[in-house]
Amino acid sequence: MPEGLFGLNPWLDGLIRLLLIVGLMTVVAMGLIYIERKVLGRFHARVGPQRTGPFGLLQSVADALKLIGKEDLRPRNADPWTFEFGPYMVFIPIFLGFVVQPFMAGFNVRVLDLGILYFVAVSSVSIVGWVMAGWGSDNRYAMIGGMRAAAQAISYELPFVLSLLSVSMLTGTLNINQIVEGQAVVPNIVWQPLAFVIFFIAALAELNRPPFDIPVGESEVVGGPFVEYSGIRWSMFFLGEYASLFIMSVLISALFLGGYVWPFGTELGVGFQLVLTVIKAALLIFLIIWVRASVPRLRIDQLMGYAWKILLPLSLAQVLINGFVLTYHLPMPVLTVVGFGGIFLLSWLTERAIRKPRAARASAIALQSEAAS
Amino acid sequence: MVTESAHEFETQDLLLNVGPQHPSTHGVFRMVMQVDGEVVRDIIPYIGYLHRGAEKLCETMDYRQGIGFMDRTEYLAAMNAELSYVMAVEKLAELEVPDRAQWIRMILVELNRLASHLMFMGAFGIDVGVFGTPFIYAWREREAIIDLFEEISGDRMMYAYLRPGGLAWDVPTNFVARTREVLTAVRQGIADFDGLLTKNEIFVARTQGIGYISAADAIDFGMSGPSIRASGVPLDVRREEPYLKYDEIKWDVITEQDGDVYARYLCRLGEMHESVKIVEQCLERLQPGAIMPEKMPRMLRTPPGEVYIRTEAPRGEFGVYMVSKGGNRPYRLKVRSACLSNLQALKHMSVGQYVADAIIVLGSIDIVLSEVDR
Amino acid sequence: MRGIAKSMMTTLSVFLRPPVTRDYPNVHKALPERDRAFPLLLWDQEIDEPFCTGCHACERACPVECMTVLMKDNPNHKSVGGTSSRRKIIDKFWIDYARCMRCNICVEVCNFDAIAMNNTWSGHEMSVHDRKDLVMDLQQLTTQSHSGQIKEWVPVLGKANEEPASSESGS
Repeated sequence: MPEGLFGLNPWLDGLIRLLLIVGLMTVVAMGLIYIERKVLGRFHARVGPQRTGPFGLLQSVADALKLIGKEDLRPRNADPWTFEFGPYMVFIPIFLGFVVQPFMAGFNVRVLDLGILYFVAVSSVSIVGWVMAGWGSDNRYAMIGGMRAAAQAISYELPFVLSLLSVSMLTGTLNINQIVEGQAVVPNIVWQPLAFVIFFIAALAELNRPPFDIPVGESEVVGGPFVEYSGIRWSMFFLGEYASLFIMSVLISALFLGGYVWPFGTELGVGFQLVLTVIKAALLIFLIIWVRASVPRLRIDQLMGYAWKILLPLSLAQVLINGFVLTYHLPMPVLTVVGFGGIFLLSWLTERAIRKPRAARASAIALQSEAAS
Repeated sequence: MVTESAHEFETQDLLLNVGPQHPSTHGVFRMVMQVDGEVVRDIIPYIGYLHRGAEKLCETMDYRQGIGFMDRTEYLAAMNAELSYVMAVEKLAELEVPDRAQWIRMILVELNRLASHLMFMGAFGIDVGVFGTPFIYAWREREAIIDLFEEISGDRMMYAYLRPGGLAWDVPTNFVARTREVLTAVRQGIADFDGLLTKNEIFVARTQGIGYISAADAIDFGMSGPSIRASGVPLDVRREEPYLKYDEIKWDVITEQDGDVYARYLCRLGEMHESVKIVEQCLERLQPGAIMPEKMPRMLRTPPGEVYIRTEAPRGEFGVYMVSKGGNRPYRLKVRSACLSNLQALKHMSVGQYVADAIIVLGSIDIVLSEVDR
Repeated sequence: MRGIAKSMMTTLSVFLRPPVTRDYPNVHKALPERDRAFPLLLWDQEIDEPFCTGCHACERACPVECMTVLMKDNPNHKSVGGTSSRRKIIDKFWIDYARCMRCNICVEVCNFDAIAMNNTWSGHEMSVHDRKDLVMDLQQLTTQSHSGQIKEWVPVLGKANEEPASSESGS
């Protein structure tokens, strides 16, 4: 938003923007929970919530009321500081990431020249919150879950950042609004298809969404680092997860799909820009929920191997190729061709990495005979 | 238990209790896993939470009353459990079952096999991590089959429909058309599962190479059913000692060679296709006729003797050993449970794997606790 | 990635089909004629008394011993000036629905076709707050048939369907 929008004292102005973020994000997160339940229901050939309010619209409100009314339990030996502040460390950085999201031209909460750097820095801080929650719970399973969450987030941070880097190399700026406006004619996904795919996968891992939800979805044994939290503390984690889902979708649509600019150009009115951004974000949210409905969960070692051995080299290769093309002023379609080639390579590597029955069987036989002896 | 690892730390194995109440829906089964870090070293299963004394109770029930108890011994494949019991009584009393009853029994048993394998697919999907999608698809197809069973016998799960000598009453007049409708729905359901899971790379990565058991080891443990057929042993009671009319129609025994969890999944998927084929062939051969022998006594009495009948339940070889001392109730009824024998191999299959994989191995053996505990 | 793409196409095709949810309790499925809920006693509308004479056949045949039967002399018998040909009639009848396993044996052994399984929705919607309320007495067991709200199905054991041609092949 422009400086001094309301013509007020800057402190009051800042306070209003802060309240705007908090209010909007809470409403958006609650709405997203409802949407996910309905859409996931349709993927499962059933309807989602339908009793609370017309079409079940008040379901999120009912859930929030229930969670607020729960007893606030705390384990006796829980470390007081880390247990208390873990949830806050998780969702405050997410709400801070909302500051740079480009909904309309010049109408972010704040337009930052180092927008991408700010976003990456701030979203990494929530990992500390997960570890604090895991450690502070005085529960060995929670700690295991917290460590796994941290390992996963750190591993996927690298392909995440490198894909963002390759996009900003194209436009030569870290300012998100300028990246969006640079896509007036062609969205970045055309030039950087491989970066889009890698960024999408890394974003799913950062969000702890299926197929990368081992820290939250440990239905095999326990419930991950949040097992000791109840009521409103737990709801902070939950809200944080859905808020970051929304933020990530808006970011992907801004960086790769053209945000509020493509295909109608920069002369579009402000209201239409908002609608366009929301439509693109909605498509991405649908895609994320679709992936959740269709794909099983990866084991932690498979997940880490995938990040380090497949995604990281390919994203480095993408950055190198970008540099090559930009330095020698090669025509842009070279990027598209190489990008699609990269996607085929990624697909082939993914398929190849899992078909190793004979090696697995041999090791299993060895383990069984060792156990029997 | 203290082990010395390569780094000269003294580590202690963790005893992890996967309690009687599971997140994965297998019933009340408890196992204590001895875990070294993430790797399973030992599994100690505890069963008996669902023991109801069914075998002893049946000694006080006459041959008609006992059918309800056999239903509840294996509730997911109730027709098969009733069939074994009823065939044992027929053999003791030397009753001749009419053809029409045989064909209808075959259709019902194979439909129940379909329903049971669908339930496996659903629960297995949850174990692997696709929470919800395969489960709901499984229940959607099971609804079609169970609605048909409700129209025939009156109940959706505890049928009490097979009787010594044949069937309790005849099927409704639109049975053939309804069964064909159900088969259409089930084919669509199998196609859905196939598309969703079989070629999914992550599913294959989670299940291939896990829970391996060799053919020789499987035979040693006394396994049966799809769990052993996935290790390459073509053992199927319907082929070894054909009962009903299995030797009069064309069908294949599905075997896989790999012996891991993925092979067991493929084996059950193939068996679902085979069941659909079998039901279609039976529907063609179904003729009007009697469903009980003439002159059935009101209260059936069997001469003294003993008999052991084996049938191919969806989970393996379900056997009924019955001893009669004359009179209208068995002197001793023993149920040879397929799931109990298969469960013995759990430790062998999961030692050396991760904790998450041990859960998947348990899911792939496909146990139902009411049969393990009786 | 192709396998994952195939999975996603499968879920998309399910997304595009209508959902299979039935909105119970606003919508009730049509129960088949043979549906087996809990047993009910049938009412003889012509003579206006239950068919049941209290002969204890079902009580003896029940595997879980859920019935208690008491008979009395029929005050409506022809010999004392009434219209009925039943010498004895049911006096008190209790069925414990919590023990009943709905095996249908009582229906099969009844000599008078006096008991049948409830095949309506009221037989399935039996939630109570106290287990003692599941013990049904004679009045509760006969009320549905008395008011004509049941169209019961009483099978003949072992009877085959009639062939389309005229000859009947049954036992």
